[in-house]
Amino acid sequence: MNAERLVRPAIAEMNGTPALPRKSGELVFHDEWERRAFAMAVSLAEQGIFEWNDFQQQLIKAVARAEENDPLNPSRGYYESWLAALEAVLAEKQMLEER
Amino acid sequence: MSGHDDEHDHDGHPHHDAPSNPYHGSNRSPERNEALAQRVARIEGLLTEKGLFNKATLDRIVEIYEHDLGPLNGAKVIARAWVDPDYKQRLLDNATAAIAELGFGGLQGEHLIVVENTPAIHNVVVCTLCSCYPWPVLGLPPTWYKDAAYRSRVVIDPRGVLADFGTAIDDDVEVRVWDSSAEVRYLVMPERPAGTENLSEDELTRLVERDAMIGVRKVVLA
Repeated sequence: MNAERLVRPAIAEMNGTPALPRKSGELVFHDEWERRAFAMAVSLAEQGIFEWNDFQQQLIKAVARAEENDPLNPSRGYYESWLAALEAVLAEKQMLEER
Repeated sequence: MSGHDDEHDHDGHPHHDAPSNPYHGSNRSPERNEALAQRVARIEGLLTEKGLFNKATLDRIVEIYEHDLGPLNGAKVIARAWVDPDYKQRLLDNATAAIAELGFGGLQGEHLIVVENTPAIHNVVVCTLCSCYPWPVLGLPPTWYKDAAYRSRVVIDPRGVLADFGTAIDDDVEVRVWDSSAEVRYLVMPERPAGTENLSEDELTRLVERDAMIGVRKVVLA
């Protein structure tokens, strides 16, 4: 297996709140945009645009916000929180502005 | 693959990755889904324009994480070992190298060790400190693997934990508990069930479920 096919342990091994939704060991995506949002975050972290840990902290906060009213019925899905976290780290880097 | 219910913590409380409503795209309204898709498309467009990635890069990442990450890799390794005694020996001698022969790898410096179940020995794997897991061959760990309840109890009372999974171990069988670490990850080679002598390697692969390779269940002929 060559280097570019590596799964990053920091991503695969996230525990607790930010842990990736999975079923029988495999990732679960429901919509194509979830896959795109997932892949963008992974690619940007691989390139060092942001630290994975910074993204993960934003993800923890985003999931917590979704669960603050009712932990069993979050106000949005995991990848919606993922998207919010991605937007937050990109906004910090001023990368969401149109040129 | 079916298997132990991932979607609940050990104590039965639903976990956040439970199939509770918001995680199911089907439960989002089409309007909300469309708005989300547009937000994502806008970011993808912006960053593609900035030259940070292209469609192919993102497709490849999805491919790796969605399809190369799962317990099927481990099942192929076990089935090969069942049908090929030479491979089995190489796997027991140097699992990292034998698993790489089949094209699976990706741990960074950690060694994989395969421990073999026999009529006299049953192996079960845990990570008492955190959740070290041989994910290149098993994919993402089930929720219960990370629970304090499993991590502490399997060491003190492995037979009791196995019984919770519906796995009965005879009194004269030795139960060995292997504690994974940052350096060493364990994979259990389950016993090949009786009555599978005529099955092909592919058919055997389908019998080997994740929980059997963690050691909390046995492989059973469906």
